[in-house]
Amino acid sequence: MMIQIEELYKTFSHVGNDVPVLKDISLNIHKGECVVLQGVSGSGKTTLLSLIAGLDKPSSGKVLIEDEPISKLPDLFASELRAKKIGMIFQHFNLFEHLSVGENVTIPLIPSGMKLNVIHEKVDVALHLANIIHKKESLASRLSGGEKQRTAIARALVANPDIILCDEPTANLDRENSLLFIDIIKELHSMGKTIVIATHDPLFDHLDFESTVIPMVDGKIVK
Amino acid sequence: MNEVLLSNQVIVYLLSESILFLLLFVAFIVSLKVLMKWDFERFTPLQFALEREAYLVTTILLFTFSMKFLMIIYFIFSIDALSLLVPGAMCAAGVITANEYGSYLLILKLVILFFLTLWFYINTYDMRTKNHQWFKKKSWVFSFIFLLIVIELVLDLKYFSNIDTHLPVSCCSALFGQLEGANPLPFGLTVPLLLVLFYLLYVLVLLTLKTNQTLLYILANILFVYIAYYAVVYFFGTYIYELPTHKCPFCMLQAEYMYVGYFLWISLFVGTYIGLSDAISTLWLKLSHTRSQKTVTYLLSFFVLLCTAYVAIYYFKNGVLL
Repeated sequence: MMIQIEELYKTFSHVGNDVPVLKDISLNIHKGECVVLQGVSGSGKTTLLSLIAGLDKPSSGKVLIEDEPISKLPDLFASELRAKKIGMIFQHFNLFEHLSVGENVTIPLIPSGMKLNVIHEKVDVALHLANIIHKKESLASRLSGGEKQRTAIARALVANPDIILCDEPTANLDRENSLLFIDIIKELHSMGKTIVIATHDPLFDHLDFESTVIPMVDGKIVK
Repeated sequence: MNEVLLSNQVIVYLLSESILFLLLFVAFIVSLKVLMKWDFERFTPLQFALEREAYLVTTILLFTFSMKFLMIIYFIFSIDALSLLVPGAMCAAGVITANEYGSYLLILKLVILFFLTLWFYINTYDMRTKNHQWFKKKSWVFSFIFLLIVIELVLDLKYFSNIDTHLPVSCCSALFGQLEGANPLPFGLTVPLLLVLFYLLYVLVLLTLKTNQTLLYILANILFVYIAYYAVVYFFGTYIYELPTHKCPFCMLQAEYMYVGYFLWISLFVGTYIGLSDAISTLWLKLSHTRSQKTVTYLLSFFVLLCTAYVAIYYFKNGVLL
């Protein structure tokens, strides 16, 4: 099992009140599976992705990545696990606007201690895969929304992670770029990557490759 | 009110210590709660809440303990400054012996610093394990440190509120100077033997450190810091002051000696504390080897070189030894 979630709860405190965001989530995602978490804004999709990535801690329950309980790992180990196994794609791309496309994609590999020529090779492979190699030297601030998203995809792929987590990846893209994004996801799926997409975009309802749509409402998975 | 308690340095010192104590008190209460209910294997809301609280406690301790290291330097600076108020005192030596609490307070502060260093080591190792393996040990060490800090705060208040600015105290030359026929050195040593032991122990510390003979290393380290204290006061210090009769561990902290005392004492105590804490935590936590060999080597070597340099420079300048 690639991702295992057991009885997961997440509650935020707001002005002294407890606001439950995730309630009793249990989910198993196999290696190579593509899962689409569907739900309206506020249904808990992004929180669930953050917990899977180990960016946040649950209020209770388990999140296991290949049997490693990421929800319990100290920050140091959670960061290591994330760097090796998880690539993230965000709604707002989260690029460094003052850096070039190539530099943005290089960043995740800097702490790895790899040799520079190896890093350059990996960056080029990721840029090819995300179809953005032609913009390698361009500043991120000069890119269109679709190009920014493809840069973010390249950055997520550069460390060759087993798991790709996408948070509302097409929310800021037009239809044409959204379809291009789905094509890249299809390619990654065929490469055996485990993909989890949190979205409310209906384009993901009927993908032309094997995927599982999981509807979420008010922090719960609707069976 | 006592003139001493109204001096700027003492107000700042006591206020800072009180704030740190308040932070530590909060950390202590929370850590006791965490310690009682801690079970890392559980995935319950309580355990997750405890882990968040433990993280908060660790952050508070990292801050307050770092500040405590700076506070001892400020404490020495403050009592040195108080020598202007206390009749007969020429430096911190006279002020520290102005009442019966001063010496105990200074020794307690040095002991606390050792345990703080030990806590830092256990904390570092604990943070490097996936399951916070040393969390309980780290918390018990903190509980013990907190107890010492309570005593320290009481002694701080007792000490500063009982310094009588009308009662003359002895100056350092009276405190550390040789009384007729009396030998102030430990084990009946003479100065040449003290020096031989000083350099031999330094080499032994480095050798045992290199060869990972942890128990012997701990023993050599304790002996070295003890002998080094006497070597500085009764031999190297006289070259710092360029006066054979001036024997004092505190005067060298003053501006006229370029604050060299701070460099000497900090390198000696920090080097020793790091070495001891590393070795003790290695034994206690059953780790494979010590990890601070370079830091200890650099700090102790700096200390020995600085001491030796004063003698060498004096000799080259004057062609004689004191």
